[in-house]
Amino acid sequence: MAGNFWQSSHHQQWILDKTDLIRDRQHDLSILSDEEYQKIFNFFASIIQVLGEQLKLRQQVIATATVYFKRFYARNSLKCIDPLLLAPTCVFLASKVEEFGVISNSRLITTCQTVIKNKFGYAYGQQEFPYRTNHILECEFYLLENLDCCLIVYQPYRPLLLFVQDIGQEDQLLTYAWRIVNDSLRTDVSLLYPPYQIAIAALHIACVMLGKENQKSWFAELNVDMDKIQEIVRSIINLYEMWKSYDEKKEIQGLLAKMPKPKPAPQR
Amino acid sequence: MGDNFQNNKTMAPVMMDYDFKVKTQNERSKVEDLFDFEGCKVGRGTYGHVYKARRKDGSDTKDYALKQIEGTGLSMSACREIALLRELKHPNVINLIRVFLSHTDRKVWLLFDYAEHDLWHIIKFHRAAKANKKSVMVPKGMVKSLLYQILDGIHYLHSNWVLHRDLKPANILVMGEGPERGRVKIADMGFARLFNAPLKPLADLDPVVVTFWYRAPELLLGARHYTKAIDIWAIGCIFAELLTSEPIFHCRQEDIKTSNPYHHDQLDRIFNVMGFPQEKDWEDIRKMPEHATLVKDFKRSNYQNCSLSKYMDRHKIKPDSKAFSLLQRLLLMDPNKRITSEQAMQDPYFTEDPPTTPDVFAGCPIPYPKREFLTDDDQEDKSDSKARQNQQQQQQQPNTQQNQVQANSHDHGANNAKRMRMAGPNQGNNNTTGGQQEFHQQQQMMFGGQQQGGNSQQQGNFQQRY
Repeated sequence: MAGNFWQSSHHQQWILDKTDLIRDRQHDLSILSDEEYQKIFNFFASIIQVLGEQLKLRQQVIATATVYFKRFYARNSLKCIDPLLLAPTCVFLASKVEEFGVISNSRLITTCQTVIKNKFGYAYGQQEFPYRTNHILECEFYLLENLDCCLIVYQPYRPLLLFVQDIGQEDQLLTYAWRIVNDSLRTDVSLLYPPYQIAIAALHIACVMLGKENQKSWFAELNVDMDKIQEIVRSIINLYEMWKSYDEKKEIQGLLAKMPKPKPAPQR
Repeated sequence: MGDNFQNNKTMAPVMMDYDFKVKTQNERSKVEDLFDFEGCKVGRGTYGHVYKARRKDGSDTKDYALKQIEGTGLSMSACREIALLRELKHPNVINLIRVFLSHTDRKVWLLFDYAEHDLWHIIKFHRAAKANKKSVMVPKGMVKSLLYQILDGIHYLHSNWVLHRDLKPANILVMGEGPERGRVKIADMGFARLFNAPLKPLADLDPVVVTFWYRAPELLLGARHYTKAIDIWAIGCIFAELLTSEPIFHCRQEDIKTSNPYHHDQLDRIFNVMGFPQEKDWEDIRKMPEHATLVKDFKRSNYQNCSLSKYMDRHKIKPDSKAFSLLQRLLLMDPNKRITSEQAMQDPYFTEDPPTTPDVFAGCPIPYPKREFLTDDDQEDKSDSKARQNQQQQQQQPNTQQNQVQANSHDHGANNAKRMRMAGPNQGNNNTTGGQQEFHQQQQMMFGGQQQGGNSQQQGNFQQRY
């Protein structure tokens, strides 16, 4: 559905306020630092990305799955549902919503097993992917409830294509900005800003990277709140700064161990 | 506990926090706690079951429609339906109020406003009246108002790039008494259909419900994509059916389980009404995947005397009327030439008298019966065979009078209702001989001049008849 963003549940319910977001994360942030929290989300965004690629999903679907994931934990602590279960559940749900063919239950589980084993062994060691179809299906109901059935997510990709066209087609610019939009999924911007603003911010960063000073007039003519764009730019640049000094392979096991975990029913 | 995971590979870790689980369980409302609907099933189909429901707490006394989606869990069609209905908001598109997920039996329930009528039942009522040589009193502009609101709803869907893909009279609902009286609600979009493989899911569907009558010729010739034009064709079919009370492209429905889009009998029926398409009218017909089969199977000369104007003229719709002219623009064989919903809404038909009304019944009494409750014998339903289907169609004929059904209490009446609903308005053309009391005509006869003035007298008349 390429309907009207302004009347969408995305705009009306899921552009969150930054202070609310920080407040809702208080439990997790009493255990993890801001940076640790972001690193954990960065890791699970990678899992969703690789899972989606292995399942041959389009980037749009992967992005939607990532936003579901972020929306769930925007309202819930990491301990509520194991993110290793929620991540594939988000991929599964997004693939159905975006109508790119149903992934069979067995294929999903098999893909999770191979991806965790082959690509994320540095995080999980010898452990196998521990969940089965019934876990995913149960989790899916909880996910849908927590999303308040808002399943259509608007992404920056479409506005990005339009903007690049408007600037005058430049393959390199689009390639850069597209990747920056992908990277933005590792930040909170998809929870805080409308997708067209994220697209503009990604373009802005891409122009700076490519040294395209002559696009300044294009940005100047846009009728957007440049403060918002700058906020998004800052979030993405902060991510790049963090990456410079971050070795996920070394740190992630420690982070996952520290992460708040689900508690079982009390034993009697 | 979580540490078990570390030590024992076969033991699943704790996937969900106990407190979270309990908290959400306590917050979750169950559909059966909030609504009364037992024994109130009003519909069933491939989509699942629909119940007429009331709130238990009495906070309002409105009727609701509760749809229990077929199967368990979130199928792709269920996901699509929830995802899209959650976003869509238009007076002529069914409004999803709420979703209930039943975790214990993994059933999905959708809550909608209740629509007392639908075009399938409305048209069937007119057919029955016609067969019995009775007339039905409806306001003169009713068909026009219905069509206008259908177009309005479809225009909204199309401008949001949502294609309906399964428009037919049963999916066009009309609100009964209440604040939205006489308003069209488009329902049951074909959410599950892949747009690049439109026919694939057809093979899986219940043969009773699938109908080819509203399928555009390009689909029957193997077009691979659903388009807006395909929805427009279906609206044209529905418009013709409203005008004549007959499905314009009525066709025997055998071999319908085929997954092949090409359907000889259905195309034959279309050509029998429309005439065989001229090359100049539909240039791209040669590019259709099944064009070779078409050339092999059909002879233009067999349809020499067929045309839409002759067909409609036989049904008392004059070829020089505005209704006919609009119909012709909706039912153009070439999908590229078919008009859009927006263009259709601008058609002069809608500016000539009588005017359209937001209440399609224009404040007049609603002559159609309320929905029947269906009995709960799923077994029979599932194993429904063609033989039984035919049998039902035969049985249904002497019984079509709604009041008879209504007068009977649950056991018998409900069975009749079910049979009729499933069999489709498929009573054959045995009753075309008698007095051609057409829907359209009746309207003009019944509500000639001042609607209000004639009302009381006609109402008396009305009550005598039904």
